[in-house]
Amino acid sequence: MDFILFHLRKLFTIVKNEVLVLPSRVAVIVFVLVLLLLPVVSNDAYLLRILILTSIFAIFAASWDLLSGYTGQMSFGHALFFGVGAYTAALLNLHAHVPPWGSIPLGALAAVVAGLVIGIPSLRLRGTYLALTTLAFPIVLMGLVFSFPDLTGGELGVSGIARLAKTRVADYYVAILLMLGLCAIMWKITDSHTGIIFHAIREDEVAVRASGINTTRYKLLAFCLSGFFAGIAGGLYAHFMRIAGPSTLEVSLSFQVVIWAIFGGAVTIYGPVGAVFILFPLLEFLRIVQDYRTLMFACVILVILLYMPDGLFPWLREKIEKECPRCKVRNIALRDTCRVCTAPLD
Amino acid sequence: MKKLNVLWSILMAALLVVTMSFPARAQGVKTIKIGVIGPMKYMQGKNHWNGALLAAEQINAKGGVQVGNQKMRIELVRADSNEANSITDATNAMERLITRDKVKFVVGGFRTEAVLPMQDIACEHKVIFFGCGAADAQLCNRLSQNYDLYKYWFRYTPFSSPYLVKMLFNQFDYVAGIIKETLNVPKLKVAVVTEKALWADTLTKMAELLVVQKGMELVGTWRPSAKATDVTAELSAIQRSGAHIIFTAFSDAVGITFVKQAGELKIPAAIIGTNVEATSDSFWKNTQGKANYTMTSASYCPGVESTEFTKAFIEGYVKRFGETPNYPADTYSAIYYALVPAIEKTGTLDPDKLVAFLETYEHKNSVSNLKYINDTEGKPIHEIAFGPGYATGIAVQWVNGKQYGIWPYKWKMTPSSPAVTYKGVVKYKVPPLLIQKYRVNEQ
Amino acid sequence: MGLIIDIIMSGLINGSIFALLAIGFSLIFGVARIVNFTHTAFYMVAAYCIYVVTQKMGFHPIWGMIAAVLLVTLLGMITYRIFINPIREHEGAVLIATIALAMILQEIMSLIFTGSFLSVPALIEGYATIVGVKVFYQQLLSFGAALLILTGLWFFLMRTKLGLAIRSTAQDREVANLMGINEARVAMMTMGLSVGLAGFTGAIVVPLTIVEPHMWLSPLIMMMAVVVLGGLGSLKGSFVGAYILGFAEALVVFLAPMGAFLKGPVALCIMILVLLMRPEGLFGVSFEEER
Repeated sequence: MDFILFHLRKLFTIVKNEVLVLPSRVAVIVFVLVLLLLPVVSNDAYLLRILILTSIFAIFAASWDLLSGYTGQMSFGHALFFGVGAYTAALLNLHAHVPPWGSIPLGALAAVVAGLVIGIPSLRLRGTYLALTTLAFPIVLMGLVFSFPDLTGGELGVSGIARLAKTRVADYYVAILLMLGLCAIMWKITDSHTGIIFHAIREDEVAVRASGINTTRYKLLAFCLSGFFAGIAGGLYAHFMRIAGPSTLEVSLSFQVVIWAIFGGAVTIYGPVGAVFILFPLLEFLRIVQDYRTLMFACVILVILLYMPDGLFPWLREKIEKECPRCKVRNIALRDTCRVCTAPLD
Repeated sequence: MKKLNVLWSILMAALLVVTMSFPARAQGVKTIKIGVIGPMKYMQGKNHWNGALLAAEQINAKGGVQVGNQKMRIELVRADSNEANSITDATNAMERLITRDKVKFVVGGFRTEAVLPMQDIACEHKVIFFGCGAADAQLCNRLSQNYDLYKYWFRYTPFSSPYLVKMLFNQFDYVAGIIKETLNVPKLKVAVVTEKALWADTLTKMAELLVVQKGMELVGTWRPSAKATDVTAELSAIQRSGAHIIFTAFSDAVGITFVKQAGELKIPAAIIGTNVEATSDSFWKNTQGKANYTMTSASYCPGVESTEFTKAFIEGYVKRFGETPNYPADTYSAIYYALVPAIEKTGTLDPDKLVAFLETYEHKNSVSNLKYINDTEGKPIHEIAFGPGYATGIAVQWVNGKQYGIWPYKWKMTPSSPAVTYKGVVKYKVPPLLIQKYRVNEQ
Repeated sequence: MGLIIDIIMSGLINGSIFALLAIGFSLIFGVARIVNFTHTAFYMVAAYCIYVVTQKMGFHPIWGMIAAVLLVTLLGMITYRIFINPIREHEGAVLIATIALAMILQEIMSLIFTGSFLSVPALIEGYATIVGVKVFYQQLLSFGAALLILTGLWFFLMRTKLGLAIRSTAQDREVANLMGINEARVAMMTMGLSVGLAGFTGAIVVPLTIVEPHMWLSPLIMMMAVVVLGGLGSLKGSFVGAYILGFAEALVVFLAPMGAFLKGPVALCIMILVLLMRPEGLFGVSFEEER
């Protein structure tokens, strides 16, 4: 009894002093709660569908950020991992009758292999060369897909795949929980030793190498991790849509993920996730003006980029939080003095 | 002040999300909601919508649909599936149509990769879906595996790929026969050029076999990309091979490119087969007038009457929309000749009762006498019957800027069946360039 | 023998088309370090402009070409001024901005002209028979135009003052600024030149292709492959790369007619292989890490 009370009080103190203090953390908590409790309030299948797809693409966008934001390896062909994950999961499910909870991780592992396939040639490439080379890989794979239509179903894709879960609500929870879990893991990775090295590689690879760190290994690790998460997103997509087709490898998908990530703010995991949660429902919402949908979408992006070139979420964060000059702790912008060291915030 | 702005924008965003979550209010007037889903920015979607609109307008003008003892009007809901660019968009649009707009029936669909998941969604919600554009056999084969789930799907147009192949070969036979007779050569040389797409894969293999079977020489097979913008390389090779006939299977932009460049290069060969772009009114302009004597299979041609309702439909469509209808416009027939009569005859909107009725409802529409057939085990699969007296399709040939129907012209599907000729069909014209180059004069 | 001639002709023509596109793209990248995804979208706008002038207004294609080049250059310079210039320092943002711009142009074209396929008459109709192979006059024109443009550009860059300014800005932006060259104006000029080239390419190449709102995507991929293969920032490299990939495509189509749809992926594989051996492309200028 006391044990439970103690921990409850501890939780309460932590929430009061660490979480409620900063608006960004409050926003995250509210976001998580809203997502988790939504099915209780609304049973609308269309809304749930939108949110499921958003979560899947959020995992995808966050994986891009891990590779291209943090490690600086600009990837314009991220759809490759998505497509490999989707096709592998679909084929395993259709021919070997592997259930979704098996086919999706296996699909992700196949995407990891794809990560190595891309990563190794990319080791010596920098900047724009890397970006444009990664663009080529999904196209080559699409050529292969069309060359073996008996295996891959050509332009029709692989269909007749099992559902993710029995009901739409169960689908929803699988997607949301996976999204929250995987994004939390990615967030933790960026905070860890490996994450710091990724960051350093982006800033100055020569210096990192001079420090004795094997950048090749870390770059390949970045490709593989990113590929893994993107592959899971692909597998989830295949099982939710019940079809895995060449649309999962399209150039436009690669471009989309770059747009989401940079719109939301690269080099933050929450940026791309937030961006997907804003932009994807926005695109659906704009169905009320069906003919002008994509046009308005692109205009929104362009306008936001003009005013917030670093991304939406870093800009928002700057507006609502201030960093203390003395102790470097973040405070809510409305405050005059730091909550920890009471230095004036100016 | 700045902080307030930020808080306001956050509040606005939250409000936006909240308003989006609430479904639309139900309408007060009694209407039957029919959803029309298709790639609205493209020819197929425009045809879907126009056909459905024409049907709805005509029925509402007559007072509406008699459902039991009350009259209800038809209300159409337009949904852009954008299936050409995004499968996700297509499935979202379908789900929105059904759960938000609360339509009772859906017509449309085109790209098979999109129609497969759209079919899943419609059938799960027990909404009758008339497919007006996708030909893949898989869509109906699903009924064999799970009839209770997929029975709400009815293919309305076109008939399925295996029958398309049969039709094409019948047409090929007819035209090749005329060409052989005119040229008086011992053996005809045929080049097979089909776009790289799954629907054309089986077709290509069968075409290659057929050519040899009929005693003709296969000089080569070319598979350009469906969106190819330059086929001069292929055309050079074809010309060098001395082909008399080029058998084509195109559904996309390459149909325009190929015919245009073949015409510009004055390739002396007859282009026959199927070319969806060649069925549009704008084809002549798009090929800069170089499409003379091209032949393609088609559904509608001004002047050709497949059934007694064809003429009225084509004229009504042209009057209302200014262009000849194409096969996706059969959303008109799906509503006018199938759905509405089914509702009036059963007196109910209940999907299960309507399905049971439609399955056995053989009826004439603007393009054929439509009958649904069963699979090899006798189970209903909602597939369209093919053959004389049922759906056959037609073939058209472009001559000097106009389309002329050229098939069925004294067509016998089997040696013992009666010869079929549709009203308004004329004989195929052999391209003069071909005659000039290859004709062997009689001794 | 006929086959080899076919391959050579086809390769030369394909290569010329790629070269025309790639040179403009390479120019703006070399000077302003902007990967301009909108390049082929401007090419598309030029195509529609010619369509309107020839099909809707009935003028001769030459007027369509002139109108297209002028309109597209103007459009390019305005969009650069409003959208790209303010965010030039943020590379990531510029990338997305150009993609978004391309999407906007695509959607505007789609709204005005719908998604149907359209085509445009050739400047010079007809074909010639060279060494037994039929070649369109328009294709010969594109080959001639590529050579013309390249020599013209070479003279411009090497012999004129503005050309010198462009080359120095490409080499080192800050120092050029220090030496009194108005770097912003040079970038603007280069943008105009680059977009004008895109418009000109559209004018020459469009009669050979189909006009539709998504026509900017596949040339974009090939153009980038060419530029990367040749080396970013090197005009000579783009030129050479264009012909290499042009020949690669011709080889695929002629030697493997069943695999004609694979010409894109094969060209890209070649690009990847070359990059494996030479990470900066064939003639690439390796940029110093800008601190």
